[in-house]
Amino acid sequence: MRVARYELNRAITRPVYIFSTIVVMLFSCIFFLTLFKTGAPEKMPIAIVDLDQSSISRRVAHELNATQSVTITNVYSSYQEARIAMQQGKIYAFLLIPSHFYSDLAAFKRPTLTFYVNNAYTVGASTSYKQLLMVMNLASGAFQREVLRKKGLPEHLLMKRIQPVAIDAHLIGNPMSNYSVYLLGVILPGMLGVIVLMITIYSIGGELKWKTSHEWLKQAEGNYVVAMIGKMLPHTALYCMMGITVNIIMFRILEFPVNGSFLYLNLGLITYIFAIQSIAVTFIGLVPVLRDALSIGALYGMLSFSLSGFTFPYMGMLTWMKPLCYLFPLRHYYLIYVNEALLGGPIIQSAPFVGMLLSFCVLQFLVGHRLHNALIYQNYPRD
Amino acid sequence: MKRKRLAAYIRTRLADTWKVFVLEIRRVLRDSGVFLIFFVAGLGYPILYNLIYLNNTIKEVPVAVVDMSCSSESREFIYRWDASQEVEVRYSCTSMEEAEQLLKKQLIHGILYIPSDYAAILNTGLETAHLSLYCDMSSFLYMKNVYMSANMVMLDKMNNIQVDRYEKMNVNHEMSWALVQSVPYEAVALYNPTGGYGTFLIPGILMLILHQTLFLGIAMLCGTAREENKEIFILPGRRRRYSIFRLLIGRALAYFTFYFAIAAFDLILIPRLFDLPHVGRNVDILVFVVPFLLSTIFFSLLCGSFQKERETGMVTGLFSSLIFMFISGLSWPRENMSFIWQILGDLLPSTWGIHGYIHINTMGATLLTTIKEYNMLWLLTGFYFVLCVIVYTIRARKYDTEVQEQDARLIAYFLSKRDHLRQISHELIEKEKQRIRNYREKHRVLHP
Repeated sequence: MRVARYELNRAITRPVYIFSTIVVMLFSCIFFLTLFKTGAPEKMPIAIVDLDQSSISRRVAHELNATQSVTITNVYSSYQEARIAMQQGKIYAFLLIPSHFYSDLAAFKRPTLTFYVNNAYTVGASTSYKQLLMVMNLASGAFQREVLRKKGLPEHLLMKRIQPVAIDAHLIGNPMSNYSVYLLGVILPGMLGVIVLMITIYSIGGELKWKTSHEWLKQAEGNYVVAMIGKMLPHTALYCMMGITVNIIMFRILEFPVNGSFLYLNLGLITYIFAIQSIAVTFIGLVPVLRDALSIGALYGMLSFSLSGFTFPYMGMLTWMKPLCYLFPLRHYYLIYVNEALLGGPIIQSAPFVGMLLSFCVLQFLVGHRLHNALIYQNYPRD
Repeated sequence: MKRKRLAAYIRTRLADTWKVFVLEIRRVLRDSGVFLIFFVAGLGYPILYNLIYLNNTIKEVPVAVVDMSCSSESREFIYRWDASQEVEVRYSCTSMEEAEQLLKKQLIHGILYIPSDYAAILNTGLETAHLSLYCDMSSFLYMKNVYMSANMVMLDKMNNIQVDRYEKMNVNHEMSWALVQSVPYEAVALYNPTGGYGTFLIPGILMLILHQTLFLGIAMLCGTAREENKEIFILPGRRRRYSIFRLLIGRALAYFTFYFAIAAFDLILIPRLFDLPHVGRNVDILVFVVPFLLSTIFFSLLCGSFQKERETGMVTGLFSSLIFMFISGLSWPRENMSFIWQILGDLLPSTWGIHGYIHINTMGATLLTTIKEYNMLWLLTGFYFVLCVIVYTIRARKYDTEVQEQDARLIAYFLSKRDHLRQISHELIEKEKQRIRNYREKHRVLHP
């Protein structure tokens, strides 16, 4: 208890602690929660290249402007202009209407429309691509409906005629394909993880750097385990509180879907925090030099986002890289999240991942002796 | 006379700048932490990220089908779907529960349910046959593969059914197609034809790596200098007079020298090594990177001046990587951000750098087409330079008055203790004299 008080005292007197835990986390939360304000991209700027100069381009533009996801910002008269606009990042896609388009259409000559999408920006591109595809199919359907109607087919049969097959898509766990649901459930705990990692390394490494470790050990009457627990306790409590608050904001207030158990998700988060703290202790134990341990932590922390596989999936990675993914607690938390929040599988599905997280917690005992000695003898370079 | 003075003036300025430059280069090379960030991270991270995203796309996502129809029509649909490179039909289940179990075990990432009346509806042709598709939303790429491929098969199938029907109604083949698909379309995916994830992400990441390693490295240098009490606000070897311009320019040039080489490696060699698109002109990239590096350097010098310890930059600055990445609008389009985030993004060199580099390198724009980004970076360079000058001047003034006060305090201390000091020194001298006297006498006794 005395150690905890000592640690709290340290934390309050150093602005770094407060800044990089509370301020940074708060800022990240506000940033990410407000960044994707619309859920799905809206009104992506696209253009039309009209080589036909007929009324059809105005009609197409009108159709496209009526949709949620794209908006026509420009009508160009040559391909060149549109290409330059795209290279300048002004538009994500453009639709090329060939010359004689209208007359060919009227003569059933099937003129081809071409759309160009800028795949260097995938989100903007895929949104506009999907919308253009839909409008194209609708346009074909509308044309067919006109012809059939003229032939005297009854109205109620028309639509069924035109669309003999349809797919009803059910997007499990994220029915609106909301971008923030994709990312935030994992990114915010990921951010928290990086903060936990760096601050834990900093708080132990700082004792070594400023040679205050004797004072710290004295608080615990020389007992390494007590010293460690006392030091971690206030931090752990704070992190767990922040993590659960973030989860409550996301899943309760903003009503991101939870198909499984919210309780288990939070328990998973707590084990995740324990695991990260243990890894931080392991790093500083292996390399009891504050600066180097922080560098390793930074490298590891940044990689965790890419290697956890929530953006680019695990199955797409190189074979020899796959085992590396399991070295990151964020990967296991992500799998727990998928199970609990998205799929709503039974708890037994999350168990192996929780087990893996717990096994990370064992790591810190392996370096306990080494770190204890470092704290006593302070025999490592300080900078 | 006047000209001579001017020449001397310029010469001292240049000499000072050079001195600062050399000193800073030496500091970077000697500091193992900064060396690690600049050279190991700056050159190693690009390779690492390329390895992570080397496969670029995912193929053959495992899916399951629940075929209640068991007809030749449903089987055909499944064959077609399986044949697409996006998915692989790995399981064929007899019930929805079974398929759901597989999904929950994360063995598959999509389920297609074909109802029992599927073939019947298709053959009577009076109603729409509905298929149900269940997509795993745990990753955007799974969903995209499953959803897009199923829809493509469906559209193709739909057109074929309709054409068949028209042909049965004695409409000729050409005409049927003209009716069913009056406007055929062609989609051209520019700059990233396979829609690869790495191709999209890595050019941005490369710029971000340059930005962040510079940012963290310079922050570390500033922190170290503060910690070791080597003031960073005055010229080396001088106690008071400050000269902010020489200092800032000299230091910036030192970082720039290193980073121009690193940038050339990261931005020009890496895309070639890993077969990323590289359609831009190298000269354009190199010219573009100049204001990017300069604005990043002054931005980092500004941020670095606020920190007192060597490591704080690392602890507090690391999180910014992710924020800078998202705020640049590389993944989530900037058009859909709120006003505040757009402004904040405008103020960061990384935003303009990322877009400019993608425009030139990936999309083959010339420097002239990216003039907006280029000019913005020069503007930011000027902006942060001016801010640096202001902040450093204030700091140097403060330091200057501190030094003056210290000196004054020292002098006052000596003055106040003058008599006491005189007395002490007198005593000391007397003591010494006495010692020598004693010594001599002793020796005289021993050796008369």
